[in-house]
Amino acid sequence: MVIDDSSAMRLILGRIMRSLGFDVVEAPNGAEAIARLQSGAMPDIALVDWNMPVMDGLAFVNAVRREEKWRQITLMMVTTESEQSQIVRALAAGAHEYVIKPFTPDAIADKLALLGVLAY
Amino acid sequence: MPYIPSADDLEVITREVWTSFLDGDPAGLIATSSEMPADKITGCVHLTGAYTGSIMLQCSPPAARQAAAALFSIAPENVTQSEVVDAIGEIANMVGGNVKSMLPGPSALSLPSVVQGLLSVPGAQVVREVQLSWHAQPLFVSLWQQAS
Repeated sequence: MVIDDSSAMRLILGRIMRSLGFDVVEAPNGAEAIARLQSGAMPDIALVDWNMPVMDGLAFVNAVRREEKWRQITLMMVTTESEQSQIVRALAAGAHEYVIKPFTPDAIADKLALLGVLAY
Repeated sequence: MPYIPSADDLEVITREVWTSFLDGDPAGLIATSSEMPADKITGCVHLTGAYTGSIMLQCSPPAARQAAAALFSIAPENVTQSEVVDAIGEIANMVGGNVKSMLPGPSALSLPSVVQGLLSVPGAQVVREVQLSWHAQPLFVSLWQQAS
């Protein structure tokens, strides 16, 4: 699942994920991503932007981590928020990994391999 | 005295964004002085907190269309206005987020706003600016600081 308010960024991340063999669903903010999960989507991994309207990425991570049924979803922040304190907040909330924009496709693949959701 | 990113820092960050997402060629952006047209496209993110100000990216309409075409992987003539707004907003967001990491923190980063023409930031002044050219079109990145 790719969650980003920028349709360009959803396109770029979606393309990278598809090239790595993932099926991709998209959401433009955390609230729509939650709605998709509530209607049965169960992604292996969610790539989550931080700054989004309606529900931001940190609120999404908190909401997912509150639900036992969504525990197995791996959460990776993909964001321009690069302050150390922000990274710590996201990881403390339950994000597994953190990628700072701009990124390369290899950086995404490396993180996914590190998380065990991508086999090289 | 807190560190304020230099014009060189702004250029390095902009080049990184361009290399990653726009044309993959760091030499595609040329440091040069040029005139920005009045109908420029402006993308802006605001910072509030330990540093209060804005990061603004301005470019000519053809450069904005070219940037959107590169991000969406489509021909420039097929780019829509909403794709320009999305692309310039996301580029301003990426540049701004990385500039923010060099400024005194913590600060909150706003969602990007995109307008055609001049975006007024009352009470703020430019503290750094880099003037670049991309495909012979002007591209300026500036850091603004709110007067205390």
